Amino acid sequence: MDSLTPAEQRELNSRMERKQMKEFMTMYSKLVQRCFDHCVNDFTTKSLISREESCVMRCVDKYMRSNERVGERFQEQNAAMMQAGSMAGR
Amino acid sequence: MSFLFGQRPQPSSAEKIAAAEAEIEMVSNMFNQLVDTCTKKCIPPQYREADLNKGESVCLDRCVAKFFEVNVKVSEKMQGEAAQKGGAQGGAGGMFGQ
Repeated sequence: MDSLTPAEQRELNSRMERKQMKEFMTMYSKLVQRCFDHCVNDFTTKSLISREESCVMRCVDKYMRSNERVGERFQEQNAAMMQAGSMAGR
Repeated sequence: MSFLFGQRPQPSSAEKIAAAEAEIEMVSNMFNQLVDTCTKKCIPPQYREADLNKGESVCLDRCVAKFFEVNVKVSEKMQGEAAQKGGAQGGAGGMFGQ
């Protein structure tokens, strides 16, 4: 990457912030979808039964933890790959 | 990616920002793909407990490593084929320098 001036860096940062916000919203809706699909299958009642509710709570926890773990591994792999200099975009 | 512009005049501000953004976008898309596919492959939909168990953790680690390996292998193969086809035109493997 060419080096950016401070002004350009600021512009890039604000774009990145907007992008991160958008990605967070996407992740959130994916998560709701996923946990609903996997946990809620009983429609004999109008509100969640306790089994469904605790399943959803565990689902969210599990998803966030796995997201975190994948993120850590991703950074490690990415760093290793940059070093090896064999990225596709070289 | 700046090596692509080696012989041209200095890229404009907008071009530089767009190039940086595109590179970040590429990495970010890859990450999202990775999360989606590895959670599908490694996290069964039962949710018996909130923590990741050992099996799931190890599965995620290996999934990430293999995903990267596949990424590298696919891009090497495509670059090889592009070089073969575009040899006469001097087409180097830069087509993925997006």
